[in-house]
Amino acid sequence: MAEPSVVFRADELTKTFGTLRAVDRLSLSIETGEIYGLVGPSGAGKTTLIRMLSGLTTPNAGTVTLLGAPMPAGRRAVEHRFSYMPQERAVYRDLSVTENLLFFGRLYAMSRARIRERTRELLELMRLEGHGKQRADRLSGGEKQRLSLACALLHEPDALLLDEPTIGLDPALRREFWDHFHELNGRGRTILLSTHYLQEAEWCGRVGLIQRGRLIAEGTPGALRREAAQRSGREPPDMEEVFLILTGASVAGGAS
Amino acid sequence: MKAYRILAVAERVLRQLWHDRRVLGFMLFLPAVAMLLFGYSFSGDITDVRVAFVDEDDTDLTASILESLQEDEAFEIAVLETVDDPERLLLDAGYQAVIRIPDKFTSLYYAHFAMGVATSAQGTIDLTLDESDPQIASTIKMGLADAIMDLGEGGPVEIDTRQLYGVEVRFIDSFAPAIMGLVVALLSTVLTLLSIVREKVDGTFSRVWVSPVRRAEFILGYVIALGLVALAQSLVVLAIGIGVFDIVINGSIAWAFACVILFAVGSVGLGTLLSALAQTESQAIVFFPLVVLPSVLLSGMMWPIQAIPRLLRPLSYVVPLTYSNRLLRAVMVKGLEPWQEPVGFAGVLVFVVLTILLSSFVLRQSAGERE
Repeated sequence: MAEPSVVFRADELTKTFGTLRAVDRLSLSIETGEIYGLVGPSGAGKTTLIRMLSGLTTPNAGTVTLLGAPMPAGRRAVEHRFSYMPQERAVYRDLSVTENLLFFGRLYAMSRARIRERTRELLELMRLEGHGKQRADRLSGGEKQRLSLACALLHEPDALLLDEPTIGLDPALRREFWDHFHELNGRGRTILLSTHYLQEAEWCGRVGLIQRGRLIAEGTPGALRREAAQRSGREPPDMEEVFLILTGASVAGGAS
Repeated sequence: MKAYRILAVAERVLRQLWHDRRVLGFMLFLPAVAMLLFGYSFSGDITDVRVAFVDEDDTDLTASILESLQEDEAFEIAVLETVDDPERLLLDAGYQAVIRIPDKFTSLYYAHFAMGVATSAQGTIDLTLDESDPQIASTIKMGLADAIMDLGEGGPVEIDTRQLYGVEVRFIDSFAPAIMGLVVALLSTVLTLLSIVREKVDGTFSRVWVSPVRRAEFILGYVIALGLVALAQSLVVLAIGIGVFDIVINGSIAWAFACVILFAVGSVGLGTLLSALAQTESQAIVFFPLVVLPSVLLSGMMWPIQAIPRLLRPLSYVVPLTYSNRLLRAVMVKGLEPWQEPVGFAGVLVFVVLTILLSSFVLRQSAGERE
């Protein structure tokens, strides 16, 4: 089967909670092999967007396709091929590290032998060797986060939806996580992640700036930088500045 | 529907319980404590009621009344020579009743027999009774009535009793099935509720729903895990019931376990349903009394449903434990097959089908929608 070139696609996606428009007529398209970063302040709608892409939340309007399947209706066809890492360190706190991996592996029809093999690999990759028998609630925040990522990688999905995967990690660990992302990406995995660390935007292949549920700018980090420079008439020193210029411009643009 | 995913969920729930030793201990400790506590405090056998007995007639007949009363374990009889003011005796000496048989009781008693209704002559016994505790008061009245019946002289009416099912059934015998139902219902509901709410709080719920597991598989996994727990709990209740209270089980234990597990399935469904209404663990705790109170008060566990005011009685028929009590008592005490107690059996089945279907529906809702 030929790989569909578009992995995640959202068309005119809207989701409201009561009077709040969490996501507002948002469209985006992410191709195989991309690392795409959703950047924006908390409450901008990143989590809601990712949950709609994963099929967990049903949009009020618009359509989602994941690996060619319409979501959420067609998720059965692709459920083995993607994974979602929620923002919470979503692991069972009263299970050990290996038991967490065992459970998720079984849900994905992996054999116990294969799960053991993958567990060994992932514990090494995540530097959790020696923690296998430890209960998740006795892990440090960073260790728990690494276990959570390990759970997402266990069944070797083609597409990864990672919601704030580096939140609360120290800078060294964040770099390490990004090394993993680039390494996975190098092996053909498509990654969509959200972050509110603007610095991380630099490390993405493409960035979408999201504010109040709308995609206000999109492009490679370099392209966004150029756009910001053009609008402000000066070279922005860092991504934070780029973000401020682009969001500020968007507000001004909306008012005129 | 794939068995390996159902078993994966069941295995996970059991492993979680196994790791949480406090919960595990609680699960087995609670049935034991409930059985011991309820068993001892509600054994229903009233004993050591202090009764003063004054026999002013002093005949063989009155002596045999005294003897019957003394044989009754409910009473601690003090034989007094005379009594001037029975009320003082109640107040000062702490008796709960004074029974006085006046002079000429025996002759009047026999006169009544000899002449039948043609005479107003009738033996009279004075009973001064502390009515402040109705249960004790009625025990005394019944005890005295029994003692008079025991005279065996053949009263005007003889009640020919044919005792069904509960030959020699004591309160505790019919109480054990209720305790089994209560403990299993309570813990299955609460453990399911807390476990699912915790999944929501921790975010593992989202992870589960993007995985290939189906809602029905998820619920069945819980059902299997908590069904096993329910079985263990029933064993604890029965072991204490038999070992400590020497309870009598007239029916088949296998049927009893089957019914308990069926009831546990419905309780898992109820826990799942309630989990849709709670977003945090502290919200979930609010539901505990909501499950416990009606179960204990309205199910006919502590007192028969007929003792519940008519106005509240319809509520009894909404409480699942009402049906499980009927069913388990029928199976364990009466020794019937489950379907020979159609109301209880159907009630439990409806409870199971309804909660499982509804919970599978609400899981869909609570899985997707949130801020």
